[in-house]
Amino acid sequence: MKGIRAFVCGAGVVNAAGIGLEKTWEALRNEESCLKPLSIFAVSHVPAPPAGEIGEALPLNGAVPRTHSLALLAAREALSAASLLPDAIVLGGTTGGISTTETLLESGETRPDTYRYHALGSVATYLARHLKCQGPVIAVSTACSSGTAALKIALEMIRRGQARIVLAGGADALSRLTYYGFHSLQLIDPAGARPFDLQRRGLTVAEGAAFLLLVGAEEPPEGALAELVGAGLSCDAHHPAAPHPEGAGARAAMQKALSDAGMTVGEVDYINLHGTGTVDNDRAEARAIRDLFEDPPPLSSIKGIFGHALGAAGAIEAVASVLCIARGFVPANVGCSVPDTGLGLQPLLHGQSGKIGAVLSNSFGFGGNNAALVLADPSRLAETFEKCPHAVIPAKAGIQKALNLLDSRLHGNDKLDHSGEIQRSFSGNGGQRKIMQFSVLGTACLTGAGSTDETLGTFRRGGALRGRPDLGTIRTDLSAASLRRLRRLSRMTLILAREAQKAAGMAETAGSPGGIYFGTGWGPLTETSDFLDQLFASAGQFTSPTDFIGSVHNAPASQAAIRLKATGPNITATGGDYSFEQALLSAALITKEGDDPVLVIAADEHHDRLSPRLDPFSAADGGAAFFLRPLASATGLRLVPAFLSYVPEGEDGIPPLIEALGGSGRICKRFGAVFAGIPASTRARGEACVASFLRRTGFTGVIFDYRCVTGEFSGASAIAAVLAVDVVSRGVFPPHLSGKGKAALEGKGILLLGLGEYVTAIEVIQ
Amino acid sequence: MEDFIEELKRKIIDTLELADLRPEDIPTDGVLIGSELGLDSIDVLELVMMIEKDYGVKIENREVGARVFGSVRSLAVYIDGHCRRAGK
Repeated sequence: MKGIRAFVCGAGVVNAAGIGLEKTWEALRNEESCLKPLSIFAVSHVPAPPAGEIGEALPLNGAVPRTHSLALLAAREALSAASLLPDAIVLGGTTGGISTTETLLESGETRPDTYRYHALGSVATYLARHLKCQGPVIAVSTACSSGTAALKIALEMIRRGQARIVLAGGADALSRLTYYGFHSLQLIDPAGARPFDLQRRGLTVAEGAAFLLLVGAEEPPEGALAELVGAGLSCDAHHPAAPHPEGAGARAAMQKALSDAGMTVGEVDYINLHGTGTVDNDRAEARAIRDLFEDPPPLSSIKGIFGHALGAAGAIEAVASVLCIARGFVPANVGCSVPDTGLGLQPLLHGQSGKIGAVLSNSFGFGGNNAALVLADPSRLAETFEKCPHAVIPAKAGIQKALNLLDSRLHGNDKLDHSGEIQRSFSGNGGQRKIMQFSVLGTACLTGAGSTDETLGTFRRGGALRGRPDLGTIRTDLSAASLRRLRRLSRMTLILAREAQKAAGMAETAGSPGGIYFGTGWGPLTETSDFLDQLFASAGQFTSPTDFIGSVHNAPASQAAIRLKATGPNITATGGDYSFEQALLSAALITKEGDDPVLVIAADEHHDRLSPRLDPFSAADGGAAFFLRPLASATGLRLVPAFLSYVPEGEDGIPPLIEALGGSGRICKRFGAVFAGIPASTRARGEACVASFLRRTGFTGVIFDYRCVTGEFSGASAIAAVLAVDVVSRGVFPPHLSGKGKAALEGKGILLLGLGEYVTAIEVIQ
Repeated sequence: MEDFIEELKRKIIDTLELADLRPEDIPTDGVLIGSELGLDSIDVLELVMMIEKDYGVKIENREVGARVFGSVRSLAVYIDGHCRRAGK
């Protein structure tokens, strides 16, 4: 059997051109800018600069923030063509419900219920709820490359048999945080974005949402629009906001995408540039392209047409790239009238029609989080495939046929091997493609009890860990200069990264991780709060660039990358109480056998003003980090991300969990304890899950309701994983657990469950 | 002017949280950004905001910024000149 390929069988988009694919297509064909003076909120700058606001009246749902509405509009269009429901969702974004939060905070609103859609992860959950998706849901936030990074994760879900139909893309609405933030960085061009132009002065903020519906099949389903053939991720590890001056990270991402696609530079027919219009981005990107391509193909940025929709931009441009392939056209670099000859590249000043076999699309974000993807004509490998050049409606029957064919080939191939461990891969799909497990090389944590040693000492004595670590007393070899400008979440993350690296026996300079995967439920709250406070107090006159750069969810992970010189993938996942689980799953999807060890970190900060509004049960903070070696068949002490699924209200998420874990027999034989993570906000659902689990499995081991010990906050599961690793490696229960009738694990492992709106499982086994 | 330079150095330390530096550690005529002080483009923008807030002098684009932030003295001269022009 050949590998599973990811075909684009639907696409949806909302942006400055309006709602729907055809509006975007017209804008691309007409070569006209859709940018207009910003009107969605009043700004202190006169005249208001151009922005990429949605170009028509929106059927908004007033009950949810604008980002959520945009996301659902685009998602529905992507699904409508094939009338399929996704079995996984991967969403990229940067700000979630911030536009609503800004208004609420300004008005002094304190009721937590009004802030319930603040979190970026809530956009992904909102989609899952409305699209009836019971399966893996991940929200990824890598600043302006979020939508592209989401597509990489979706691609790997399909290749590695974790899902067959994945909805992936990005969504971001305009907000004051991002508008004033880019303004404080002097990165907004008052004349509107002019990518690659000699006079360019910056970007144009925009909003939008876009999704691709990816279907896993061996051969293109009838009417497939394109194939996502490869994607690459890298990190500059250079600066929190400015790109690497020589475009080293940008080049690495493009190279990885091409190699992932099994293609050479000569096979690329068009490059969709990141091309924001900032002096530095365009220079670094041009340098990277010149270094990689001896003779670059036609290229253009479409941000002069739609603006820069941040986390949605990569997804919007992926949709545009799909249209280029399906309809044989490449768009003009609108906004550029006199190309900057210093860049050494000639962007397309007018669109061109012709066959497009493959497109390389670039996205680069703050923190040097780079992503590139390659989309190709689905018919390029099959002589007999009938492409419908102007179709955007693939036949549902054709997709169903391809899925059925795949099913019949795969049926029964998830089997237990002789050791009783599940081989989580499709047979014949190549060992490299399966989801990775991780050998634990080192762990670290920060809790109310203090550092890793203090935490484990307290835990072994039966003490509680809840509270907030006093960072002033935590010993670290990080210099004061390296912690300057960093607030609580970034500081904790940097300390955790360094401590996990040390625990793995790695020197700071010699042990760069192959990638960093970070989970955070709320992102940097201090910077967000400080930025908005200053914005409101000065009526938009003074806002701090340091706070803006520090406020993005991926700031902590990119700081860790700079410090540890980690130039591999740098992914930040944000899924509320399941953020650590999403980060670990992302790592398992992206890494391959033989890759360098990776750092997986999860942390959250408690903020005295914001936490009571956003997460009213939160009473602690801290986090944990793991230095992990990815292995298809890990040995020794290991973490196995075994299950992650959104569970619609009223459904029991436990039966699919038991199935994924290999059945009741294996669960009882393999695990001596369950560490149950039950978020206080969904206590009743979580307890029902425990009851269902016990009833269905007959499990008689210890159930440890660990949030009583770790304290209540969204990073608690990462700390619980460190505790589980400690218990499994020592084999002895601490007093919290031995009081429940058993004293030791007897060689068994621990099952770390997340139980509530999502059901998750991580195996900690030896 | 020397007093103003001293005042600016203290403000630079406060604004950029350079806790382990004293005013005499910052050279008056030497390079301010990209030197061993470890200051970068974000620090420049943070100082742009401080200067607008405290002295009412705007430095609105990066080209002007690059010139003005050459050294503490060039910064002092620029602010002083613009304050005078505005009659402040």
